[in-house]
Amino acid sequence: MNKEEILKIVNEIFVDVLDNPNVVIDLITTANDVEDWDSLNHIQLVVAIEKRFNVRFKSNEIRNWENVNEMIESILSK
Amino acid sequence: MIHNFYINQSFNFHFDINQDVFDLFVKLSNDCNHMHTRDDYAQQYGFEGKIMHGNILNAFISYFIGECLPVKNVVIQSQSIDFKKPVYMNTKIQLVATVDSIVESVNVVIFKFNFLNNQNVVVAKGKIQIGLL
Repeated sequence: MNKEEILKIVNEIFVDVLDNPNVVIDLITTANDVEDWDSLNHIQLVVAIEKRFNVRFKSNEIRNWENVNEMIESILSK
Repeated sequence: MIHNFYINQSFNFHFDINQDVFDLFVKLSNDCNHMHTRDDYAQQYGFEGKIMHGNILNAFISYFIGECLPVKNVVIQSQSIDFKKPVYMNTKIQLVATVDSIVESVNVVIFKFNFLNNQNVVVAKGKIQIGLL
């Protein structure tokens, strides 16, 4: 799966978790750019992403994510 | 902390739904719908008698998470419940909760649970996600 395909799936996860069909993310999107991407929803996003891609992140890995690109790089690295 | 949990770890508790529980829940919720308070009314809709509030079961979930886990510094992050069968007064309810997944990166434990009645029939089932602080 390439980065674009993963981004598309991650976008679907954002739509579902944030319950907002209008959410559109790209690689440079950060939490500040998305309404409702708060700390609790961040946990729900991680839970959903781990389940969807069948991957396990480390807590320090998550803490270092600066934007969606780094999130996707983490998925790709598994 | 999170290492107190493992996949398929099971928890099992019994609760009584009796007049005291019912009265306390009515006092808390102010839900006096006839479906919960009048046998004749509930029977019109095919039930054996007045049915207990489904959300009484959620109070038992609250007790389970707050009081019965091996760690106390937890919060419920999400919870869902499907009601499958009516529950009547003076029913012994069994809660069986099993650890379904652990997301170590965000200190999350997800349980699947069933509530069973005296006849071992599932009356409700669902999922709870807790965060360990």
